Amino acid sequence: MSGLKLRNVKKSFGSVHVIKGVDLDIEDKQFVVFVGPSGCGKSTLLRMIAGLEQISSGDLFIGDKRMNDVDPAQRGIAMVFQSYALYPHMTVRENMGFALRFAGAPKEEIATRVAEAARILELGALLDRKPGQLSGGQRQRVAIGRAIVRHPDVFLFDEPLSNLDAELRVHMRIEIARLHKELNTTIIYVTHDQVEAMTLADKIVVLRDGVIEQAGSPLDLYDDPDNLFVAGFIGSPKMNLLAGTAEAGGIRLADFPEQLVPSPVAVPAGTAVTVGIRPEHFDPTGSAALETTVEIIEHLGGETYAYARGAGSSLLTLATDNNRTLKTGERYQARFNPASLLVFGQDGKRLR
Amino acid sequence: MTLALVRRGIVYLLLSIAAFVSIFPFYWMVVGASNTSADIIRGKTSLGSALLTNATAFFTQVDAVRIFWNSGVIAVVATVLTLAISSLAGYGFEMFRSRVRERIFGFLLLLLSVPFAAMMVPLFVMFSQAKLVNTFAAVILPTVASIFIIFYFRQTTKAFPTELRDAAKIDGLKEWQIFLFVYLPVMRSTYAAATIIVFMANWNNYLWPLVVLQTAENKTITLILSGLTAAYTPDYGLILFGTVLATLPTILIFFLLQRRFVEGMLGAVK
Ligand SMILES: Nc1ncnc2c1ncn2[C@@H]1O[C@H](COP(=O)(O)OP(=O)(O)OP(=O)(O)O)[C@@H](O)[C@H]1O
Ligand SMILES: [Mg+2]
Repeated sequence: MSGLKLRNVKKSFGSVHVIKGVDLDIEDKQFVVFVGPSGCGKSTLLRMIAGLEQISSGDLFIGDKRMNDVDPAQRGIAMVFQSYALYPHMTVRENMGFALRFAGAPKEEIATRVAEAARILELGALLDRKPGQLSGGQRQRVAIGRAIVRHPDVFLFDEPLSNLDAELRVHMRIEIARLHKELNTTIIYVTHDQVEAMTLADKIVVLRDGVIEQAGSPLDLYDDPDNLFVAGFIGSPKMNLLAGTAEAGGIRLADFPEQLVPSPVAVPAGTAVTVGIRPEHFDPTGSAALETTVEIIEHLGGETYAYARGAGSSLLTLATDNNRTLKTGERYQARFNPASLLVFGQDGKRLR
Repeated sequence: MTLALVRRGIVYLLLSIAAFVSIFPFYWMVVGASNTSADIIRGKTSLGSALLTNATAFFTQVDAVRIFWNSGVIAVVATVLTLAISSLAGYGFEMFRSRVRERIFGFLLLLLSVPFAAMMVPLFVMFSQAKLVNTFAAVILPTVASIFIIFYFRQTTKAFPTELRDAAKIDGLKEWQIFLFVYLPVMRSTYAAATIIVFMANWNNYLWPLVVLQTAENKTITLILSGLTAAYTPDYGLILFGTVLATLPTILIFFLLQRRFVEGMLGAVK
């Protein structure tokens, strides 16, 4: 009922093109996360959906209605800002009821809805305080409460947790996931924290330079990235990316020139490629191996990561199946299953 | 150790001189109001017993109620209008992007360097053609679009979080409602500081009212006081008594708004 459709949406500030043609479908009740490096246009795209920035060209539909020229307040959206943007001169209660008061809602209804939001977010005790008397986490909750009170069809969040400390961030992340279940509405959420993206999203949209690099479920993007950018962006620790050249019978990696790595896809001999392998795809039972020297070891308790080098300069990140006896300087045979390799062409596109 | 002491001594000495220089005229004004003109001319700096005489003389020679009413109306109306117009302009300059914005603003700042004396004659011609000479409107109108106050509001608006405006838009407020219900209360310190500055400037305004207010019943207290000094043998006791009275409103406003004034000058958005 209140999905979103973006059709070839563009945005320029003067001669600067920030959003360069975005097509996107968001289903009703979906939790969609926009990720991408700083300056790629996440906030701009979100603000265009909110109606805070004019859409230069293209169409935006919320539900079935074209919303390009509709007032922000009439779009059925609510937004939570990174800086919370609470009205400093009003109490929490007034902050949350402000929009309704302006829409001319009756007093009792405002009170009921504020009480409901306060219950959901456990804000009851804070209703008569001003924002200046609240902690960062509490302010964030009030900002979310202000959005909830309006019963929007779509929630927009712009990096809502980035001003919180790490512990609170984890806590609020879980809160937001719970909220999505409880409210059962569409959420569009901007972050550059990929743990937030992976854990919260039904669908991740990876943006770069104002275009969508790939959109899909978190595990799709993780397992099956369309291009080098997405492969490198999603996943922590990052995927290992190694330059190589295709030959008859396999790929020769520049940093491991003695051996030929079997390729999971057919690549014409002589093609320059990049091979990607995730740290956790190194597996002692794998059929292929790279000969490395361990340089750094990180014990996380549950897993042990080794940073190891072959003949060249690039440092591989290896999950070692929690091999706690490993020492730096040791030779280490990094075994893996060739089927888990991803191969990318010279243009960064995945070869399938 | 001793060096630090000497330095401290010098600092205290300089501060004392500065304090003396700024406080003495004030002290002398208050003391003078209680002395006879002859005592004042002799340089007496202690309290006298002529306060009542001076007061009686002042109130018989000057239609005080009328004159203070004139000054008050002019200062209050001018302050309200100046704040309304200049804060709107400052808000507009900072909030709305436009290619010509900086150029217009630069031009305004350039106008700050034109002395008022240079504009006085053309202004007078304008107001006499508009048949407004000898009215309060003529005193008030030239001051309300204060470039300095526009500049002050623009600078302080830079600290106003733009996300508040965005949030208000999403909450359904029109631009004028954002200004009235969000910007204005958030910026109240700035308004308080500007109130003091503008009120004082208008209350003390001398040159332009002197030109444009011509009949005695329209004059302001500043004009009356300077008129008294111009007498053949000025009665300084009477004049200083009037000066004390004329100072009271500004002092009152300053103490009422003092805390906010300091915040406003520091550009605090709370
Ligand atoms: N009002 C504006 N005028 C001109 N350029 C702008 C304006 N707003 C944003 N931009 C530019 O648009 C680009 C995208 O900005 P945006 O804020 O959407 O990035 P972002 O992906 O949200 O980045 P971040 O992760 O740092 O928040 C940036 O290069 C920015 O400089
Ligand atoms: Mg952003």
